[in-house]
Amino acid sequence: MSMCSKWITAAFAGAMALSAQDVPFDPHSSIEIKLPPDSPVALLSTNVRDSGATPRGGAMVIDLHMALSLRNSDSRTIRGITLLVTAQEVTAGGKASVAVPSLNVAPGQAFPVRIDLRLLRPLQAGAGPLVQVSLDGVLFEGLDFYGPNRLNSRRSMTVWEMEAERDRKYFKSVLASSGPEGLQREMLNSLARQDERPHIDVRMSRGGRSVTSVGEPERMARFAFLKMPGSPVEAIDGWAEVAGNEARTPTIQVLNRSSRPVRYVEIGWIVKDRQGREFLAGSVPAAEGDLLLPPGQTGRVLQDTALRFSRNAGEPVPIGGMTGFVSHVEFADGRVWVPRREALSAVMAPSPEEQRLADLYRTKGVGAVVEELRKY
Amino acid sequence: MTKHPSEANLALYAGGELSRWRRWSVERHVAECAACRDAIAQFSALREQTRAMAELPDVDWDSLAAEMRANIRLGLEAGECVAERSSPQHLGFSLRGVAACASLAMLLVVSFLIERPAPRVAELKTDEAAVIETSGSGIQVKEGGRAMMLLNARARTVEYQASGSAMGARYVDSDTGQVTINNVYVQ
Repeated sequence: MSMCSKWITAAFAGAMALSAQDVPFDPHSSIEIKLPPDSPVALLSTNVRDSGATPRGGAMVIDLHMALSLRNSDSRTIRGITLLVTAQEVTAGGKASVAVPSLNVAPGQAFPVRIDLRLLRPLQAGAGPLVQVSLDGVLFEGLDFYGPNRLNSRRSMTVWEMEAERDRKYFKSVLASSGPEGLQREMLNSLARQDERPHIDVRMSRGGRSVTSVGEPERMARFAFLKMPGSPVEAIDGWAEVAGNEARTPTIQVLNRSSRPVRYVEIGWIVKDRQGREFLAGSVPAAEGDLLLPPGQTGRVLQDTALRFSRNAGEPVPIGGMTGFVSHVEFADGRVWVPRREALSAVMAPSPEEQRLADLYRTKGVGAVVEELRKY
Repeated sequence: MTKHPSEANLALYAGGELSRWRRWSVERHVAECAACRDAIAQFSALREQTRAMAELPDVDWDSLAAEMRANIRLGLEAGECVAERSSPQHLGFSLRGVAACASLAMLLVVSFLIERPAPRVAELKTDEAAVIETSGSGIQVKEGGRAMMLLNARARTVEYQASGSAMGARYVDSDTGQVTINNVYVQ
């Protein structure tokens, strides 16, 4: 090889080595955590170990693993917290939240919240932090709330807390009537139900636009409805445009059967495939501020989205039928209704509290669940 | 249950690149095997991310090709000049050597163009509608060539639910024992 060729080879190898190097990345400066001055939680520490960035082609993949340690600086016990996560530079319209319900954090106690994010953005980045984390709300014992509530976390956390109270009451009654063995049976049943629930992948786009070309003729499919005993609102009619494994723009008519005005209702949405297997696809919520339903009046709940269902890494799940049920209702005075436990069917998701207690049983046994129930 | 397919076959299955017979055999297995289903879901998610990452910045290929042609021509002409003056024994700067140098130089230019931070990437397909999708590892909102994914780290089983403009994932964090509910919203 001539000297000239050697130089060129060396220069080429050098250039390749430079292009493969990781770019410098400081996770601490990439994250901004903002808590209001009168926040009932204080940030004790932030651990971003295991975070990193890797260039890929013309883009950068950033893995941010944040372990926050927060302290309850209020005089009330915390039952839930919701943090708002935004990355404006990455997705202009996208935002995310991380909520931890079913907490039992006494004043002065510390508790962890973990946020794990992966961002894909162009190599050239703007100045300033990449991710902003702020407080959306804190729910206290007695359903008191603090926070800007931009994501309506007050309602979500109130629903989770009411479901938690309902389920703890049920498990306590089982413990009282059948002892630890009865509670163990309940936990085993719950774990079995959770394992048997079909796992479906969902792809969603806004505006009712198709998320794929399904190639099947579109039809208008009607909802069947499950009666929920004691529900202040009844779903009376509903439909969605269905084509193959895609459903668009579900619309549901509801009637307020209670004596109080209703400002929000959410309809659970069960989809049945053509083999008759049912899975919980999600829910159809009323648009914020759109619904104020006086007693005896009907209203319409509409979701302007397109959903596509698949399983086993992309195998389409053709929609054979749809069932709706009233999953929760918020009255104009802010109070919330949730279904009774006996009205829930196996296809419906367990409450976060039931999920937590069943997992506690799985990892630590029935004694830990008994001890946990005694704390409430 | 049938024998677990190899990782390579699961990856090929996730990409729809298996032969009909192998595909049938893997399908039969994954219908009964949650672990392999999870592995396939992970391969699919990885494939999606790789596809998104593989998108190259807008390069004006026509002008690049013209520039390359001009440089090669220049190299060849330079080679000819050198060849006229040199004796046949001086192979260090032969026509072939110069052509090889020019090609390598072009290769460096192309690799630099592909790898360097290109300002145009910032404008990648911003007119595309944002889409949210779930995968084995989390919920991702994609908009043009950018994406944000909330990962379901340390989750045994995950419940996904679409609600209005949000997609939610609920799981018990195996480190803390706390229920975590991640939501990703799209405007």
